[in-house]
Amino acid sequence: MKKVTYFPGCSAHGTSEEFDLTVKMVMKTLDVEMEEIPDWNCCGATSAHTMNESLAYALPLRNLVLAEKLSNDTMTIPCASCYQRLKATKVHMDEDPELAKKINTAVVGEGSYEGRVAVKSMLQYCYEDIGLEAIREKVTSPVSGMKLACYYGCLLTRPKAITRFDSPEYPMSMDKIVEALGAKAMPFDFKTECCGASFSISDTDVVLQLSGKILEMAKESGAHAIVVACPLCQSNLDMRQHDIEKKYKVKYDLPVFYLTQLMAMAFGFPKEKMMFGKHIIPVDSALAHIGEVIEEPKKPVKGKKAVQAESEVE
Amino acid sequence: MARVGVFVCFCGANIADFVDVPTVVEEAKKIREVKFAVDYKYMCSDPGQQMIRDAIVQYRLTSIVVAACSPRMHEKTFRKALSDAGMNPYLLEVANIREHSSWVHQKDKKAATEKAGDLVRMAVAKSIANEQLHEISVPVTKRALVIGGGIAGIQAALDIADAHIPVTLVERSPSIGGRMAQLDETFPTLDCSQCILTPKMVDVASHPYIELIPYSEVIELNGYVGNYKAKIRKKASYVNFKTCTGCGTCWQKCPVKVPNEYNMGIDKRKAIYTPFPQAVPNKPVIDAEHCTYLLKGKCGICAKFCEKGSIDFKMQDEVIEREIGAVVVATGYDLWDATPYEEYGVGRYKDIINSLEFERMVSANGPTGGLPIRPSDGKVPKTVVFIKCVGSRDKAKGIEFCSKICCMYTAKHAILLHHKVHDSRAYIFYMDIRAAGKGYEEFVNRAQVETGAVYLRGRVSKIYQKGEKLMVRGEDGQLGREVEVEADLVVLATAIIPYKTNPALAQLLGISYDKYGYLSEAHPKLRPVETAKAGIFLAGCTQAPKDIPDTVAQASACAAKVCGLFAGDTMKKDPMISTVNNEFCSGCQNCVQVCPYQAIVTEEIPLGHGAREMRTVAKINEGVCQGCGSCVAVCRSMAINLAGFTDPQIINEIVAI
Repeated sequence: MKKVTYFPGCSAHGTSEEFDLTVKMVMKTLDVEMEEIPDWNCCGATSAHTMNESLAYALPLRNLVLAEKLSNDTMTIPCASCYQRLKATKVHMDEDPELAKKINTAVVGEGSYEGRVAVKSMLQYCYEDIGLEAIREKVTSPVSGMKLACYYGCLLTRPKAITRFDSPEYPMSMDKIVEALGAKAMPFDFKTECCGASFSISDTDVVLQLSGKILEMAKESGAHAIVVACPLCQSNLDMRQHDIEKKYKVKYDLPVFYLTQLMAMAFGFPKEKMMFGKHIIPVDSALAHIGEVIEEPKKPVKGKKAVQAESEVE
Repeated sequence: MARVGVFVCFCGANIADFVDVPTVVEEAKKIREVKFAVDYKYMCSDPGQQMIRDAIVQYRLTSIVVAACSPRMHEKTFRKALSDAGMNPYLLEVANIREHSSWVHQKDKKAATEKAGDLVRMAVAKSIANEQLHEISVPVTKRALVIGGGIAGIQAALDIADAHIPVTLVERSPSIGGRMAQLDETFPTLDCSQCILTPKMVDVASHPYIELIPYSEVIELNGYVGNYKAKIRKKASYVNFKTCTGCGTCWQKCPVKVPNEYNMGIDKRKAIYTPFPQAVPNKPVIDAEHCTYLLKGKCGICAKFCEKGSIDFKMQDEVIEREIGAVVVATGYDLWDATPYEEYGVGRYKDIINSLEFERMVSANGPTGGLPIRPSDGKVPKTVVFIKCVGSRDKAKGIEFCSKICCMYTAKHAILLHHKVHDSRAYIFYMDIRAAGKGYEEFVNRAQVETGAVYLRGRVSKIYQKGEKLMVRGEDGQLGREVEVEADLVVLATAIIPYKTNPALAQLLGISYDKYGYLSEAHPKLRPVETAKAGIFLAGCTQAPKDIPDTVAQASACAAKVCGLFAGDTMKKDPMISTVNNEFCSGCQNCVQVCPYQAIVTEEIPLGHGAREMRTVAKINEGVCQGCGSCVAVCRSMAINLAGFTDPQIINEIVAI
């Protein structure tokens, strides 16, 4: 059995409870024991790192130092923002000795940072440490028939200098995981486009415009639903969808799943346990596609000329 | 008693601002042997040189010290001044008080002045022990090797050959012509590339002084300027060029289809092929990687149909040697692979092509008969977006330089698109329009006015597919807003990079190259054609991105350099070379091992006067020796002496400080 340190972040204990819940279900199935960092604190996302650089590093650093007290060598984080802050702090601490010296003093009561623990997003942990093969093995009720648009948002693979995982522009790791679950990942150009989350409260119109474009392109791709691995992505695309539909006079009806919800379903957990009731856009229309056969476009038959040429060779 | 003259240069402000020149002169005057010392603003100028010439006569000087810039800069200039005054030029010493003092000690004028004084004292002491030396003559092999048969190589070969100097032109592909043969029309006059190039190609093939070796590569170069030996590997063509008439039956019958490099892979060629109909030589070769017979031993259709029996499947690669005196490198360019632009979907969308692919499409002899099409569905595009600086000027993607020609050929592409598809419109995203050249700005204006091409200043941030269209999202920097263009086709003006084998070639030639693989010129301004290795010259995009006029000019400059090199029957060479004193040489051969130029061999000499027994001593080839002094340093018995840097000279220098 694998062991991994878990940093849930504030949203997992609030708005994205269903993410936290399904992560735990999935990890249990995959024989991974999760050990939550005792007495973890805020990662400093959004407010701290726009206001005060030292604080923006000091807050995540305390979590990194606490994580080193556990015996695991990897930490996994479901929230993309938390992941981003912790990973950025780790990279800067590891590679900028001047900064490391300065920030280390902030956590002096907790011990000092060694850089022993790898920081990975939930997506990265599933893709790299668990692997597609292990995931595929646990699938008992594949979600085949579903066409899905995987939306990574801005933080899971960006900036590349920090995340060092997958492509910053056209990542494929989530696509490959949902395919391992039996679903079809649709080619989707807006998988890393901005959803406007930072303006969620201050300028909602921007969010409607940007998230609207993502929904439009997801619909265009032929997807039945969107898959995310970030609480903020989920809330923006799900919660704002009715407002977007109202503003642009369109109908998208695209449920927004957490990746782990679909994994848990494919691993055989009943859908009643997924807390789908928390979703604004009902998920049933998308789930109804499970079991459908997706017709692949026919591959072009070899032209007459090519066949002739081959026979000539013989 | 030695009579030394010291001449201290201000070098404008370069030296005078940081070294107190009059003090240096006063210090020099204190030296016993110095009979004359003076300063001047520009010692290298004619009045400066005249001061030297006059002083030599007036003060009966026996050696000269010039305290100025690096000897690499003006040693030759001052040596000439000495010989003009009737003095042996090697009685000159240069004290480098610019690079070695004023430039590097700008914060401490006092110390810089002291150091300059020391350098002058050393040079004076050394010059006292200078001996009269005389230039060495080395025989020259009057044949040039041109590597690369694009327009640069063609022009260089023709110009050299026109001076009745034999040229060996080596081309890696089956035909000469290079990139220019792939172009449709050329800026800024829109004359047809083939029409101006193919006659030159024919001239190369028929020129009595040019030996054309196609489908070959240079694999070794030994020797030194004027006396190189090159090994050339002729790749097996499996076709006997002597009997082949180029009738074309073989490639019509060949059943194997391979992506056509000449057409940038848009259509297919056969496994036996000539790159294009106007190829020179117009003889096919068999592509061994794809030929069914060579891979599996089956087929052989070409051999069956060849009336002349020219197909020879047993042909092997052949290595030939040529003795040559000079080399012109003209290996050309490649387009950078834009795959790192993931935000553009390069590689995912068929309808994003690069500029050479577009060039082939609009070319009259191209795979689409001169009509641009969308690779995805073969439809003629109405809205075409051109994106400039893809890769170029983009540090994040790894290339910092400007590719120089993209602004011009993109303007040309806009015009060509308009000529081929009248109801089309070009949108051009650009960073700056760099149209410096004769008639270039006018040409860009023409593209804008005549074709209605929309120039949008800004970068493209994303390309995505919406239905059949490619949505190109970018910035219109002049209006300060985001724009989206619904495009049928997107053409990327990707960066110009040197051919991928350039570093390997540079290593085998012994010349240097930069981090991108461009071959380095000897001086970026004053010696843009030469390399640091004597007798090797650069033409065209192998040195930096260039358009056709610049390439041709540089190629002709190469030819002038080669002709100059071959002007006499022998070549003059500096006498600063090593000599072995056989009396002292123990034959240990340490020097043979350290010599970086393979200039030292061994010879057998009688053990004593009239003795029959022999012993081994080192022997230095004066043509090859570059005077680096490595052998002097390792010689245990102090048997080797480097002229111009003898032990008394060096010891004098040390004693002086």
